[in-house]
Formats: sequence, C-alpha cells, structure tokens
Amino acid sequence: MSEAAPHLVVRGVSKKYGPTTVLDHIDLTIRRGELVTLLGPSGCGKTTLLRAIAGLAQPDTGKVELAGRDVTHVPPHKRNVGVVFQSYALFPHLTVAGNIAFGLKVRGAARREIDAAVERALSLVKLGHLAGRRISALSGGQQQRVALARAIAVEPDVLLFDEALSALDRKLREEMQVELRRLLQDVKATAIFVTHDQDEALTMSDRVAVMNKGRIEQLAEPRELYLRPASLFALNFVGLSTRIAGTVLAAGNGKVEVETKVGRFSALGNFQAGSPVIVAARPEQLRIGEQSEANTAAGRVRSVVFQGSRTLVDVDAGAGESLLAELSGRDGKIPIVHDEIRLSWPVTETFAFPMEAQA
Amino acid sequence: MARAAIAFCWVMAIGLALFLIAPLLVIAAASFSPTPVFDLPLTGASTRWYGKIGRLDGFWPSLLLSLQIALLSTAISLISGTLAAIAIARGKLPGADIFATALVSPLMMPGLVLGIALLQGFRAVGFTAPWATLLVAHLVITLPYVARTMIAGLSRFDFTLIEAARTLGCTYPGSVLRVMVPALAPSFLIAGIFSFLASFDNYPVSIFLADVRTKTLPIRMLQYIEEAPDPTLAALSTLILLGTVILLFVSDRVVGLHRMAGTSD
Repeated sequence: MSEAAPHLVVRGVSKKYGPTTVLDHIDLTIRRGELVTLLGPSGCGKTTLLRAIAGLAQPDTGKVELAGRDVTHVPPHKRNVGVVFQSYALFPHLTVAGNIAFGLKVRGAARREIDAAVERALSLVKLGHLAGRRISALSGGQQQRVALARAIAVEPDVLLFDEALSALDRKLREEMQVELRRLLQDVKATAIFVTHDQDEALTMSDRVAVMNKGRIEQLAEPRELYLRPASLFALNFVGLSTRIAGTVLAAGNGKVEVETKVGRFSALGNFQAGSPVIVAARPEQLRIGEQSEANTAAGRVRSVVFQGSRTLVDVDAGAGESLLAELSGRDGKIPIVHDEIRLSWPVTETFAFPMEAQA
Repeated sequence: MARAAIAFCWVMAIGLALFLIAPLLVIAAASFSPTPVFDLPLTGASTRWYGKIGRLDGFWPSLLLSLQIALLSTAISLISGTLAAIAIARGKLPGADIFATALVSPLMMPGLVLGIALLQGFRAVGFTAPWATLLVAHLVITLPYVARTMIAGLSRFDFTLIEAARTLGCTYPGSVLRVMVPALAPSFLIAGIFSFLASFDNYPVSIFLADVRTKTLPIRMLQYIEEAPDPTLAALSTLILLGTVILLFVSDRVVGLHRMAGTSD
C-alpha cells in the first residue's frame, strides 16, 4: 500500500442518542502515517466519532474502513486499534510491564516476542527503568507514557487519543505535544487525536478537523485552518479575531463590500447584496496607521495585554464593535489605554461569513 | 500546648486500643482456667476445657448449621449484591441513590426489630421451615455488607478499563474476567469476610427463627452460659477468635488490613 493511499475511511457515519444527533453524516479519509486531530467543543461529537472508529460505539448508519478492511461491524477486540484514554485506563493490578504486555498476551503471542515488544515500547517512551513498578507509584506524566506504550505495543493500524493530554499540567502537556508528535512520526503511526485544545491541535497534527454539532466544519492543515477558516465557527474556535457585523452592499469576483456601523469594508466572500454577514480578520493583520489595499477603522484603546513576544491591543471602535490587534515589538510604538488610534488590515486577509447563530 | 494535645491524643489511641482488646485477652486467659469457675487462672493452666468443647450438647449440629447459613448467605449475597451494586454504580439506574440506601438500610435497623419483623412476615405468608427462614433472614443481614462494600469498590472502579481491555484484544466477557474481577477482588474479599462474620455471629435475628432442633452457634452458646457457665465456653470463644484472627491475617496478606478497616485507601 502506498503512503498516500486512504488508510482509514469514515463514510456517512451518523449516530443518535435518543433524539440527539451526535454524529451527522461524517465523512473522513485519513492517509497512512497521518496525524489528524478532531477539534471541537464538548458535545460536538468528536469523542463519539473516535469511539465509532475504535468499535466502542456502533454507528446507526455509515461505514468505517481500516487498512482496506470494512470494520463497521467488527467488535473492538478484532479491529487492531490502539486507544489512549483520557483517564489512561491503566490496569491497577498489573505492573508497568504487565500493562504493556497485556494486549500481546491476550493475542497469544510467544513469551520472547512479548518481552521484546515490551522492552521496545518502554524504551520508546523512555520508561525502561520503571518496568516493574506498580501503576499507583507513577506520576501522571509517567502513566500517560505507559498508556501510550501499551497502545503502541500491539502495533495497531491506527492510534486513537481521547483527550489524552488534558490531565497533564500545562508545561508538561506542551512538552508532551512536541515529543509525542516526534515519536509518532518516528514509528510512522497513523493517529487521531480528540481534543478541545486548539494549541494541541495545531501543534500535533498534519490536518485538523474542526467539529461542531456532529459535523466536520472544516478539515485542513493547521496553517490553512488558521489563515483561511471556512466558517465563522472555525474562525472562532481556532485563534483570535476581530469580528464586525454588517450588510453586503455590493458583490462580485469573490469580493464583497460590507456596510457596518463602524465603516465600510471590503472582504473575501461570495454573497448577494443585502445579506447579513460578519466581517473578520486575524489580530496580527491589524497594524497601526495606513497601508495600501486595506480596510481601516479607528477607536479608543480599551486594554493592552503584554504577552512577551506580542502585545494584544483591544480597541473600542464604537457602536458596540471592537478591534483586536496583535502587535509585535517591531511594529514600533505600542499604544496605551485611552489612546485614539487608527488600525488598518489588508483586504486579502479580511473574510466575510454568513451571519449565523453564534457558537 | 500543641505537644500536650498530641500527647493526649496518643494516650487516647493507646488507651482505647487496650480497652477494646482487653475483653479478648480476658476470655483467652479464662479458657485456660484449671478450675470450673469462669475466672482468671491465677494458679497454673489447663487445656481440658478445649477437650470438652466437642462434647457439648448439640455443639456439632449448631456449628454446622451456622457455617452452612453463613457460607451460603454470603455466597448468594456476594453474587446478587455485586450485580445490584454494578447497576447502582454504573447502570444509570433511575433513582440509583434510593436503591443504594434501601440495600444498605438493614444495617441501621436494630437486629431485634429486624428479627420480629421477619418472624411475623414469614408467619403471615406461611413460610415456617426453620432452616430456610434462617437462610433468608441471613441474606437480609449479609446483603447490606456486600452492597455497601461493592458499591464503594465499584465507585472507584474505572469502567474505561474494560474498554481499554477490549481495544487491546479482549472479548467483552474476557475483559470483565481479566480486568474487572482482579480489580474488584479486594472489595469482594472484604465484603465476603464481613458478610460471613455478620452471619456467623448473629444472635438477635436468628433467635426469632430458630427452633429446638435448629439452633445456630451463638444461640447455643448463650444456652450453655445459662445452663452451665464453665470455661468451656471461654475456650470455644477463644477458638472462634483465633479463627477470625487467622482469617483477617490471611486477608491482610492478600489485600491489606487497612483497606478492610477503611482507614486508608
């Protein structure tokens, strides 16, 4: 099978719990060796989708194919998936090595094979010295590694992570994100992460699927997701933005002119005149002063938040609208609260989205 | 000041431990009395009372009955109580709290009240076979111990473990056997011991349901005391005590006494 061939295919998967639609005709194709994140707020269906792939939840409709095999009706123990659970779900009555050996023992592997696999998995997560420890004697970070080693040891077709890093404290989590990504790339694992943490999604993944109300709103590489959000929800969920409500005055050539309470803006988008829209831009696109081919708006600085390499400036543009600018030290003078300033941002970095019930 | 307070607490802890253990020591000492008086032996020791236990009138049938009832009621309680506890701890059972309280409630009822209630209840439905009524009554006694321990044990059990085992290649029944059973084994053992002891030692409920031919050991022992108070009973009590200590010691080796006492996790 070539590297680019579809490795995991989810086709039209739906799932209802009572009257609630949890998954609404999900389509998702993942290539071998790809790291994909399902990102969304709680209740968006991301965990249910992961469980459907693992075989722990049976979809009402649709198909799941893994490594060229239709596994829709295959029980979890015959799917050859590896799952790292949020609670780690390590077996308390077994040692570290016992936990990692569990999957291979159940499969009836030979003793020597098991020992070798356990050793390999332990060294992969750098826990070789803890093989004989009890689970209760491990720290949270160590337990996380054991859970990973246990899932990897059976050489699954796909690794599934259900909020696997969320129980770690922030610093450890950020270290683990980088290390885990490198480790998974080293062993050429295909993996799906479920998380509500956008930083984790952007750091760990080749592609991110933003989920909302049982649907995938956008499936894109992290960079594209941030720079070209496909929906207002995706824009809101990943990163910060300035958002201003308005009405389309004129449209054409993939651009619109939008009338808002704080001025007239040009934005990318296809709408009919008269449509209510939200005009949006990422904060780092906003600069103090004028630039060519740009939208501009003025206001009074409401707050200035210094965050090390960058400074976030929140500007009250009047009429209940605000502008959010991210200024780096190189941009010259950083304004102070109550300053009257004028901000501009490129038309090509301004998006228009249909106005919808805000998430 | 703080030191004095700590010292006072130390005295309390040591004093209370002695206070609780003293009667056991007294009964063990009395069992070696050389005289037929139920007294502390001050001159010499004798083991002859131990030899007399087996010859007590009706001792063996009563011991057998108590063991049968205790073992059987414990076994039934363990199985049914654990299943009920699973429903309460996991099954999203509507009103689970109410059922949990109901299962544990006989613990809060005085044994005499329970005994009278059961006697009248059994009579009302014409259920009078002594052995069977004793067994049913002892289910009422033992179930709360099992329910309480297993609900507590299950509430600490992460059911994700079963899912983890399934994704690692276990069938569902296999996962329950390989993961849930070993993880719950300590709770199971603790529940079994408490349940067995509660049944074996019960007097206030059994007394209402026993008849001349069907007397449990505690009833028989009280009868001995009334008839002929000699150190044979102390010897018997000491043996029961010894049996309990051995049971607890073995369990401690297996799961840890601190978990049974509930004084630490």
